[in-house]
Amino acid sequence: MGATNSVTTQSKLVVRPLSGALGAEISGVDLSKPLTDELFAEIHQAFLDYLVIFFRDQDLGPEELIAVGSRFGELHIHDYTETMKSYPDVVEIIKLPEEKHNWGDHWHIDSPSFECPPLGSVIHAKDVPPYSGDTQWSNMYLAYETLSVGMKRLLSRLECVFEGSHKGFMNYGGMPHKEGPDRTATHPVVRTHPVTGKKSLFLDVKPGRNFKDMTVEESASLFDYLYRHVANPDFACRFHWENGSVGIWDNRCTLHRVQRDYFHELRGVPQSLRYLTRVQMLGDRPY
Amino acid sequence: MAATNNGQISVNPVSGALGAEISGIDLSQPLDNKTFSDIYQAFLDHLVIFFRDQDITPDQQKAFSQRFGKLHIHPLTEGMADHPEVIEIIKEPEERHNWGDLWHIDLTALERPTLGSVLYAREVPEYCGDTQWSNMYLAYETLSDGMKSLIDGLVCVHTGGADGYKSFKGMQHIDAAAMRAEHPLVRTHPDTRKKSLFLSRKAIKHFKDMTPEESAPLLGYLYEHSINPDFACRFHWRNNSIAMWDNRCTQHRVQADYFYEQRGFEPVRRRMHRVSIEGDRPV
Repeated sequence: MGATNSVTTQSKLVVRPLSGALGAEISGVDLSKPLTDELFAEIHQAFLDYLVIFFRDQDLGPEELIAVGSRFGELHIHDYTETMKSYPDVVEIIKLPEEKHNWGDHWHIDSPSFECPPLGSVIHAKDVPPYSGDTQWSNMYLAYETLSVGMKRLLSRLECVFEGSHKGFMNYGGMPHKEGPDRTATHPVVRTHPVTGKKSLFLDVKPGRNFKDMTVEESASLFDYLYRHVANPDFACRFHWENGSVGIWDNRCTLHRVQRDYFHELRGVPQSLRYLTRVQMLGDRPY
Repeated sequence: MAATNNGQISVNPVSGALGAEISGIDLSQPLDNKTFSDIYQAFLDHLVIFFRDQDITPDQQKAFSQRFGKLHIHPLTEGMADHPEVIEIIKEPEERHNWGDLWHIDLTALERPTLGSVLYAREVPEYCGDTQWSNMYLAYETLSDGMKSLIDGLVCVHTGGADGYKSFKGMQHIDAAAMRAEHPLVRTHPDTRKKSLFLSRKAIKHFKDMTPEESAPLLGYLYEHSINPDFACRFHWRNNSIAMWDNRCTQHRVQADYFYEQRGFEPVRRRMHRVSIEGDRPV
């Protein structure tokens, strides 16, 4: 990062960090227009430096969203949820007004049960509540770097078994799920980012998991410690969506979670639709 | 709680859980009773209220705070030389921890913990040291009926002392005797009459008439429950921002995200002025 203040780059992009941990808001770019290689290189550098980047007031249809995602890599198709009819790369993330839970409201990595989990995602907010359903991201480089030397060494020998099933996607009224075969993948708990070369914890919060070649019981205490550690609020930033906001995150070195703060009765919060569109980019095999 | 606008002040919620930003008000000026009563209602409804771009002196901060009650003198930290009721909260650039970076309620080891505080940002980092607040009414209300009846009547033993105040370079602690108080785990707010969890992990050692070991499982569960991120809002400070929170029904914590080496940015100073208001005995 190397700066305390906002960074203005040659092309007038302004990159403003959002927290000491990660995240930056970028202004001075219209993502609906094709990005020159030079401009994309600056955006990509901010993506690597800040792990999650945000843009406000963007007007993106599915084709423009696909175009933005495609600059980061080939697109990944989500297989446990119906995608847009004419655009199989695009998932419509919909929370109906009366629903009180989100697609993704615990700390998680997207689709780690793939042998090659997605590189990252581009999300565009179409119709979001005035003050509920923020998203938090957490910096998994920091989660690794803040461990002791001994713990780093211990974890470097471990692999985590990730299981995926369409059953986890059945519970969303606005999002028809798609049946598909269960998946299992095993990935190192400490992975190396293929571009930055930095190590991060690759682990999301899901009780009942086991490390490779170990039982669930043997794994539980260590997972429990790591789950608390990765959820340390000091590693996180929080983003408040507005219609037209865009978030692009690196799924290789972050966790994220959506606020489930739809306290309609308890707080008199009005019932609101939350509607975003998303594309994901193909990742490589963690090592 | 929906956004409101009475023609003068606007109240805009910042999350589904708690918190609202109030605009249309200059806190350097005396408040008429109608305006103060609107602010007080927003304070009760939203638990923590925020104001931006306020230019006030310590005397004006005290005058505003006094509308909520008698000013409190901190037993363990020196106030400003000319204003003993005003604590200057300073994190020097090289320090990486804050005064209050674990989830807590202020001064629960006092028999009468504070009602709340008015915190004024004088000199804050561009992007570190945000503060989060958490809604302890929600923490109580979202428990099962069985759990609510189980914990009804439990009393917590709170302790506190100077030790926790010694490691801040820019602040002067006071060597006062250790404090101890007993408070109900579930308290009823004197104004709203609503119940909340009155739980602050660092201060509570055990339930009254139970050992620490016996207390640990239930205290541990309730503490984890109370820090569910869904109950929280997060406020990004700018110079001249003010937050005022209700210490009777919220917890708060400051982000200790001063990752200078790991993230490659320059050390930053953080300086705020805090005035607190005397509270009553929790029931």
